Amino acid sequence: MKVKIGDVVLPGDYCDEITADGVKSKVVLGPGLRKEVDHVYIMKAGVLRKRNPNTFWVDSYQKRYVPSRSENVIGIVVQKAGDLYRVDIGGSCTAALSYLSFEGATKKNRPEVQIGDVIYAKMLVASKDMEPELVCVDSHGKKGRLGVLNDGFVFKCSLNLIRKILNPICPLLESLKNEWPFELAAGMNGRIWIKANTMRETIAVGYAILGAEYLSDDEIKTMCTNIASILAGHVS
Amino acid sequence: MVAEDFKDFKLKPMKCELNYLSKSDGSAILAQGETVVLASVNGPLDIKITSQSMEKATLEVLFSAKGGKPNVSDRFKESVIRQTCETAILGCLYPRTGITVTIQELEDFGGLLTCAVNCTCLALLNSGLSMKHVVAAVGCALDDSGNLVLEPTYDQIQSAAATMHFVFDSRAKTLVTGFTTGIFSEGAYDEALERCRAASDLVFDFYREVVATYCKVIG
Amino acid sequence: MSDVYKVIHPNKYFNDYISLNVRPDGRKFDEQRSIKLNANAISNADASALIKCGNTTVVCGITLELATPKAEEPDHGFLVTNVELLPLCSSKFKPGPPSDYAQVISNTVNDIIKNSKCIDLKDLCIVSDKLAWVLYCDMVCLDNDGSIIDACITTLITSLKSLSLPAVSFDVETEEVKVDISNKTLLKVTGLPVATSFAIYQSPESNIVLTDPTTFEEEMCGGIGANLIVCWNQGLLCGVQKYGGGNIPTESQKNLLQVAKKRSKLVEEVIETCLS
Repeated sequence: MKVKIGDVVLPGDYCDEITADGVKSKVVLGPGLRKEVDHVYIMKAGVLRKRNPNTFWVDSYQKRYVPSRSENVIGIVVQKAGDLYRVDIGGSCTAALSYLSFEGATKKNRPEVQIGDVIYAKMLVASKDMEPELVCVDSHGKKGRLGVLNDGFVFKCSLNLIRKILNPICPLLESLKNEWPFELAAGMNGRIWIKANTMRETIAVGYAILGAEYLSDDEIKTMCTNIASILAGHVS
Repeated sequence: MVAEDFKDFKLKPMKCELNYLSKSDGSAILAQGETVVLASVNGPLDIKITSQSMEKATLEVLFSAKGGKPNVSDRFKESVIRQTCETAILGCLYPRTGITVTIQELEDFGGLLTCAVNCTCLALLNSGLSMKHVVAAVGCALDDSGNLVLEPTYDQIQSAAATMHFVFDSRAKTLVTGFTTGIFSEGAYDEALERCRAASDLVFDFYREVVATYCKVIG
Repeated sequence: MSDVYKVIHPNKYFNDYISLNVRPDGRKFDEQRSIKLNANAISNADASALIKCGNTTVVCGITLELATPKAEEPDHGFLVTNVELLPLCSSKFKPGPPSDYAQVISNTVNDIIKNSKCIDLKDLCIVSDKLAWVLYCDMVCLDNDGSIIDACITTLITSLKSLSLPAVSFDVETEEVKVDISNKTLLKVTGLPVATSFAIYQSPESNIVLTDPTTFEEEMCGGIGANLIVCWNQGLLCGVQKYGGGNIPTESQKNLLQVAKKRSKLVEEVIETCLS
């Protein structure tokens, strides 16, 4: 079936607008789109979106992570093998993280990472035919926000929820950060790490995020206010 | 996530809930009339090296009947569903991994296998795996006087001279899978194929409605 | 040289042939392999047949046994079909319990025979609720080179047609059974189901249908075994199964049924000649 931007799409549909744009200039096909001989076909169920000038993708529901380059993910170190750590990122196989891909690490000066540690890292290599590879430094050798996440609490959620809360127009984090202080790291692989001053506050952030999955922006704002007032002891 | 009611004079009413199971990567429960099937999809996952394929994902289908021991006809159902899914999933995007589909029969009042195929397709949509197209299964029965009945009831199947089931893809509505029982003429086969092909549109519309109901909130 | 090419680039090797409108074994797309059929090949079975379709070799043996009918169907006998795919016939099969594929083949053969209604199970009953024949039909594949269902159905039906049942006398009071081997009657077989397999290859331009595929062709077309099995029985269809592989273009659907029909006529002739 032929579809337009903004339509609800199913795998096997095709969009001629993309092909038409592609004739004029280069277009970027994001997740859920695939070029075949005659048309650009949809591969996932969801909504077809466009960002000007030339980026197209399908917003779809997904829980299982499939590694993709340059995404920030949260993983758990499961094994030390030679000069590699093996990190579980929730994909079909573990990702490799070299001892040397930490800020200031040398052959002599190894980073202190133990099995079971939670790591916030960037996908360096993510090809379907190769083992995924992570790094904890940027291209200047600086660690930035990447590295081992100490303390805190990790939970899993769907990949959409991560995309939703990281979307600049989503009011969730904006509303929450005004209520009480906390630290948060969201991995594109459907894992969220949070750290707040008390256990109560940590759980409150967790519930607020999980509860936001099927809510609209206005409902999210109301929910945040509600949670804040419960936490402050105004409402029991 | 969503419950959707779909009424049509041609097909049995379909009701579906996606993401029915919290732990699997994709799941769906589908009722077509009285027949109810639950399907769950997991993957792409790590599997043992002997069953890995360099070219594409290895698909494994498990069908559990409502009661009793697994038997040869369950293997047959698994084979039908597996081969149908293999044409629909873009397995080449997930080499050396495994995709597991588990189907649980809950109620069987006729048309179990068509319901299972449709339910599997919905679970695959929910899992977010890349697919070439979606598939829709439609069944029909030929009674003794040569009349075609779409989506027959349990009693109609028992008394039918022949039953035919077809699965179509959503792109060109070509035949993906088909299986028949009983004896019938070539003319009856052609008519059944065309009627079912027309009816498959309703199933595709139903898929679109199900997806539309949850699409508003995931963005 | 071409053998090496086949091993290294099986897909390209196959595609090269197809693009020249010929199959690797020199056949045209709708050409079938020659059939060799031999009835009563095994002396210690009650009826048997051996078929060779190209390289595919299947032997079928039927043994007779007496049993009490099931309570829910007191006037029905039993027809038990079983297909065995031993490690002998292909390197893909391992010793041990039957693989999923073997179970599916068995199930399909059983369905086709049941659907064709060529054997009336009531004919197998001797005394209602007391005594009935059990026909154990075992098909063993000796060499699997594709289109195995066609071969199974043909040997099975040839064996059934050559089967004669000995006369049995049953004493209702003493429940004594006497079998008179010297007095045999042929089993009544109505109709003659013939299955024809097709493989559907997805070439970039269009889907190409190959009649009577070999194992290599089946593999290249995807799926397990043949993609389409059409079964004709005396001018009526008794089974159209399509699994996996490419999708059938609507326009060639009709043509396929005709190819299968033509082949069924031919196989019927072969069976008749073999038995006469």
